[in-house]
Amino acid sequence: MSDVVFLASVCVSAAGAGVLGAILGLGGGILLVPILTVFFGVSLPYAMGASIISVIATSCGAAAGHLRSGLANVRLGLFLALATVSGALIGASLVGVLPASVLEILFGLALSYSAFTTMRQLKLELPVEGEADPWAVRFGLSGTYYDRVLRRDVPYRATRVKAGAVAMFSAGLLSGLLGIGSGAFKVLAMDYFMRLPMKVSTATSNFMIGITAAASAGVYFGRGDIHPVIATPVAVGVLLGSYAGTRLITSLRNTTVRKLFLPVVLYLALSMLLRGAGLWR
Amino acid sequence: MALRAETLVARLLFVGGVVSVALMLVGLVSLQVHAVSGRHPVDVARIIENRQAGRAVDVFVSLPQLMRALHRWPPDPTAIMTVGVVVLLLTPALGLAAALVGFVQEHDRPYAIIAAALIAALLFGFALRLGG
Repeated sequence: MSDVVFLASVCVSAAGAGVLGAILGLGGGILLVPILTVFFGVSLPYAMGASIISVIATSCGAAAGHLRSGLANVRLGLFLALATVSGALIGASLVGVLPASVLEILFGLALSYSAFTTMRQLKLELPVEGEADPWAVRFGLSGTYYDRVLRRDVPYRATRVKAGAVAMFSAGLLSGLLGIGSGAFKVLAMDYFMRLPMKVSTATSNFMIGITAAASAGVYFGRGDIHPVIATPVAVGVLLGSYAGTRLITSLRNTTVRKLFLPVVLYLALSMLLRGAGLWR
Repeated sequence: MALRAETLVARLLFVGGVVSVALMLVGLVSLQVHAVSGRHPVDVARIIENRQAGRAVDVFVSLPQLMRALHRWPPDPTAIMTVGVVVLLLTPALGLAAALVGFVQEHDRPYAIIAAALIAALLFGFALRLGG
């Protein structure tokens, strides 16, 4: 494969990951790492470094668009990011102390249950409004976005904030302990625990993943895992793709986003359980 | 008129993404020009080969090392691309700084404190790893 073909192919693959990442609230690592290692023969450390670049580029491209459209909520994102970053810092300091396999199995089971509830909610366009949560009122965890599909303003307010924050802390803990991204966990915590519209959950997750990825980006950079020749086509592709994704999501129903999200949850649940059982590394 | 935190963050993230990608592209084009003139051949096959033998020599791993490479003339194309990478890695922290400014302007003290705490956590982690 010539250098130009390599760079162009990586850029196109990254654009695809950027589109999906912007819609599903993920950083694209779940797609990019296997593509780079299997199809392009990139070694795992460089693929992981490219994944961090992909997460931050998705966050920049998507969050900028989502914030303008009102789908991403800065206050909600920062409130929950505090829990995630705290979890990630504690998780990183507990490497070798906490048995990772136990956490993987626990998260695998939690994700399996989430997949089950996601399946039950596949036809739910907007969450049923629950009781006003005092934390949501105190910290202003609410907002309104204009839904182009429903052709109306959609007001929303977070519920079960404490449970959501605990889920975010746990997601950060896992992320710090295992060095994996946690975009899917963030979406699930907002969708399932806090009963936010699916598109608000994925868009706010896009804003948050950049912050959590930046917390560990220095580690990858310092180890020499971010090669600029691989990072450049990834960043260009992801930035363009994620910007396109923010345009696309406004014309999708919440139920469509949830249907697209379900295979990701199932894949993560299975991979976590298998990793915990020592059958997948 | 003061801009809302959302607007400031959206603008900062967008500009950060565009600037970093522009720097990376300038470096990549420069690298290709060097390759054509035979001065600095790009060898993707070597770059992507398994790193078990050790770290690739053309990767910058600290800011002092990067600064030294940028002081030479003509600048090393890989160093220009790496500046783009560093700008991208710092953009979320700069986005938080924009949020902090927005919250201070809106007199939203709890969120100004949250944004400041997150910035401190990110910069602490970044400085710890990149100080050289």
